[in-house]
Amino acid sequence: MSRRPPKGEYIETDTGNKVSRKANLVGTQNIILGGRTVIQPEVMIRGDLTRTAASASSTGGSAPANNTAVAIGRYCFLSRGSLLRPPGRVYKGVFTYMPLRMGDHVFVGHGTIVQAASIGNNVHIGHGVVVGEFVIIKDYVRVLDGAVIPPNMVIPSFSIVGGQPARVVGEVPEGGHETFELRDLYKTVGNNPQPINA
Amino acid sequence: MSSSSSSKRRSILPPVSNSGPQAPVNASSSAKVSDNSILTGTHSITIQSESVVHPRARLESTSGSVLVGRRCIIHERTHIGSTDGDETSGGVVLGDYVTVEAGAVIKAGGTEIGGDTVVGVKARIGNGAKVGKNCTITPLSVVKPGETIPDFTVIYSNGRRRTDKRGVTELQHRVQARHVEVLKRLIPNNPAKRQAAAG
Repeated sequence: MSRRPPKGEYIETDTGNKVSRKANLVGTQNIILGGRTVIQPEVMIRGDLTRTAASASSTGGSAPANNTAVAIGRYCFLSRGSLLRPPGRVYKGVFTYMPLRMGDHVFVGHGTIVQAASIGNNVHIGHGVVVGEFVIIKDYVRVLDGAVIPPNMVIPSFSIVGGQPARVVGEVPEGGHETFELRDLYKTVGNNPQPINA
Repeated sequence: MSSSSSSKRRSILPPVSNSGPQAPVNASSSAKVSDNSILTGTHSITIQSESVVHPRARLESTSGSVLVGRRCIIHERTHIGSTDGDETSGGVVLGDYVTVEAGAVIKAGGTEIGGDTVVGVKARIGNGAKVGKNCTITPLSVVKPGETIPDFTVIYSNGRRRTDKRGVTELQHRVQARHVEVLKRLIPNNPAKRQAAAG
C-alpha cells in the first residue's frame, strides 16, 4: 500500500470496537456493541427499526422503554457489505420490530443479510447468506456460504446448515470448536493491522 | 468532539453519493421517502399513497418511468430500475401492496410486478419480466428477463415453483397497512430538504 488514508480507515473506540468510516450505521443510539467488534466498510445496521409496541413486561410503565434495536457481543466480525436488520411482525395486534441479539465471536460473511431474532455465541455465518426473520441460532453453529435460512427456523447448537432453503447438513466435529475463535481475526484489521501468526 | 454534558455521540448517516441527475419525483404526501434514499434518472418517479422507501434504496428512471403503487414497502439496498449499462427502454411498474426486500434488484425495461407480490432478499428480476399478483419470490431467487410469472406463484429453492393456495391476501393487506404505519413513524423524512436539494 503506497497511500494510507490520513485519518485511518477505522474508528477505534475505547472498548476496542473497530468501526469503518465507510459503514452505514442508521440509528446508532439504538445499537450496542459489546467491545472488540469489527465493522468493515459498507456494512449496514438498521438501528432505527426499534420496538414500537410497549413490551409485555412494561405494563407498569415505570422503567424507561428499552429501545435497543441491535445488540452485538464481543469479538464479532461483520464483513464487508453485510446487513443487520431487526425482524418485524405483528404482535398482539400491532406491528413491531423486535431486537436482534448477537452473542460473542460471531462471524458474518460478505454480503450476508441477517434478520434473526437471536444468534448465540461462536457462530460462523458464511458469505452471501440470507438469515430470515425471527431465526434463532444457538451456539457453535456454522452456516455455509449461500445458505437461505427460512424465517422462524431454530438451529440447534453444534449444527452445520446449508442449502436453499437451509437444512442441518452436519454436526461440528469434536474438537472443532477452536475454529470459531475470532480473537486472531480481530487483530488483523484496523488502522495498524497485524498479520496472522501461524 | 464537543465537551457538552451529554456523552452521547449523535452521528449522522454519511451523505449518499448523488451521481446522475435528480429524477422528477412525484410522491404522494402520505408516502414516506427516506432522505437517504437515492432517486435518480431522467424520467418520472411516481410513489403513490402510503408507500415507504427505506434509506439507501435506489430508484432509477434512466430508461423509463418508475411507478410505485399504494402501500408498497421498498427496503434498503434495493435497486429498482437498474439498467447495468445495457440499452433497455421502458420503466418499472410496482402494483399495490408490493414488498421489495433488502438487496433485491429489479431491472428496468417494461418490468411489471403485480400487486401483493413479495420480492425477497437479494432476489433479481430480469428486464421486461412480468411477475403476476400475489407472487412470492424467495430470497436469492432469479426471474429471467422477459419471463412471465402467473399469479400466486412461489419461486423458491433455486427456481422451483409452486402455487400459493393459502388464501391469506386479506390478512397480508392488514399486516402491510400496520407495517407501513409503524415505518412512517420510524423513518425520518423531510420533504422540504429533498426539494431543496433538487431545486
